[in-house]
Amino acid sequence: MNPYLAGWRLGFLRTIRSPGDMSVRIGFFAIILVVMTALWTAAVDANGGSLHGYTRTSLLWYVFAAQTAVLGVRPRSVEEIGDEIGSGTVAVQMLRPVSVVGLRMSIDMGEACARLIASFTVGALITWLFVGAPPSLAALGLAAPAVVLGCAANIASCHAFGGIAFWLLDAKASWFFFQKLVFLPGGMLIPLELLPRPLELISFALPFATMAYVPGRIASGHPDPLLLLWQLGWLAVLLGMAGAVFAAGERRLQVMGG
Amino acid sequence: MIAIEARELRKTFPVRRGEPVEAVAGISFAVEAGERLAYIGPNGAGKSTSIKMLTGILHPTSGDAAVLGIVPWKKRRELAARIGTLFGQRSQLWYQLTPRQTFGLLGRIYRIPADEERRRLARLGELLDATQLFDQPVRGLSLGQRMRCELVASMLHAPEVLFLDEPTIGLDLVAKARFRDLIVRINEEQGTTILLTSHDVSDIEQVARRVIVINHGRLIYDDRVSVMRRALLGTKMLDVRFEQPPASVEVEGARLVKLSGAGAKLVVDTDRRPIRSVLDDLLDRYDVVDISVADPPLEEIVSHIYARPV
Repeated sequence: MNPYLAGWRLGFLRTIRSPGDMSVRIGFFAIILVVMTALWTAAVDANGGSLHGYTRTSLLWYVFAAQTAVLGVRPRSVEEIGDEIGSGTVAVQMLRPVSVVGLRMSIDMGEACARLIASFTVGALITWLFVGAPPSLAALGLAAPAVVLGCAANIASCHAFGGIAFWLLDAKASWFFFQKLVFLPGGMLIPLELLPRPLELISFALPFATMAYVPGRIASGHPDPLLLLWQLGWLAVLLGMAGAVFAAGERRLQVMGG
Repeated sequence: MIAIEARELRKTFPVRRGEPVEAVAGISFAVEAGERLAYIGPNGAGKSTSIKMLTGILHPTSGDAAVLGIVPWKKRRELAARIGTLFGQRSQLWYQLTPRQTFGLLGRIYRIPADEERRRLARLGELLDATQLFDQPVRGLSLGQRMRCELVASMLHAPEVLFLDEPTIGLDLVAKARFRDLIVRINEEQGTTILLTSHDVSDIEQVARRVIVINHGRLIYDDRVSVMRRALLGTKMLDVRFEQPPASVEVEGARLVKLSGAGAKLVVDTDRRPIRSVLDDLLDRYDVVDISVADPPLEEIVSHIYARPV
């Protein structure tokens, strides 16, 4: 088996062997869905049953997919990567005949896939229960790979942002910045169509939209394969950026002492 | 055959708003294949920085080095396939999983065929008496048990050189003794070159045949351990607790350095009188409640090295 596939498998196993952590996450996810259902129901009702083309049903299926994709990644991932660079843990990982960032991302992706399976299943059930069937089953089907791609793009971005710690010694500031970018221009909080038009266009062009908005948009009844291509394109760029940041960082690593 | 060679190796770390720190200040030495070398020095001496350069993690500021004929920082991944590393303060095992699952990943990373991996695990498990630990979650292992599994992880790909950075740190006395024995067995049975850093003097005496001492980034001593033992390790420290506070402690061959209440610290010159004889005398003449014997701290050895006539 390829070492990166083996890393993916290990990450997957590690997550399913920690059912406590997984249960807390799913519980939290369920609470978010319930709160969002109440909030968006009120907002849509106050606007005559539709918000920029989103009905209550389509909006809540958007929320389900966008949240699922983002919650698949460890919330403090950027900060953790920065801490591991600063503490010398990454230095030790460099003593393996494989790409450090490649192995790290494959393990993270394995973990994320385990979480995604659970949260996609539970989230879809809760959403179905609260707002009924998705606008289109084809859209829900296409949302599954979009959620996985969104998660992968998020993990690659976390490594690019976290890799800043090779220069700044930690990534607390870049974590704060990254979190906000996923939150708003990424479409995690609200669909991009609800933003002012110029901001919507800028946000859509940025990679963060591939992490939450695209899975949400597809699940809301827009099974457009071009959106998946958009994700794939950004994923390739982000993987390249993460690889480049780590390659440059490893060359200039300064770790003093044991 | 030379396994490790360093020539005028130097590493300076930039410091924000301050003078750069020279962690390693031009070190040169060579290690033959199959040697067991202790690379020691007090905290901040430059041991770990040297290891990080020799394994390719750090680029030196100047100087040159070759490990198994490879310049470490130029071909780090190629070298990584042929060396093993064990850092006492960094784990390579995943806490939520069993050691065997981590070994499985390492087997794929080092591209070890499955049959060969099984054979090596069986052999290392037997050698390190660790087979029964392989299927327990790492989080349930004691530090000593975990370190045995860490050593298996470091040896799985049959490295030609093993770098051990403070491998016995945090272990209790029994676990330390056992771990040292395992390292010697690996060297003798597999011919693995060992480079061990530690600031525990016992690690040096019981594992290494040659010792290099560095301080402030400079090499200050390089000789056989047997020579060092005769020249610099001729003392033992005794920490004694008595039933009643004694007025004084007088034992031939021992010098009282501190007496406070019922406790006393003595230094024994083992060249003058064997430690066993001093202990017998002490136990015969005083009501001793507790006693411990320790090596002199590394800082004392370093000051002896500086005090030697050139």
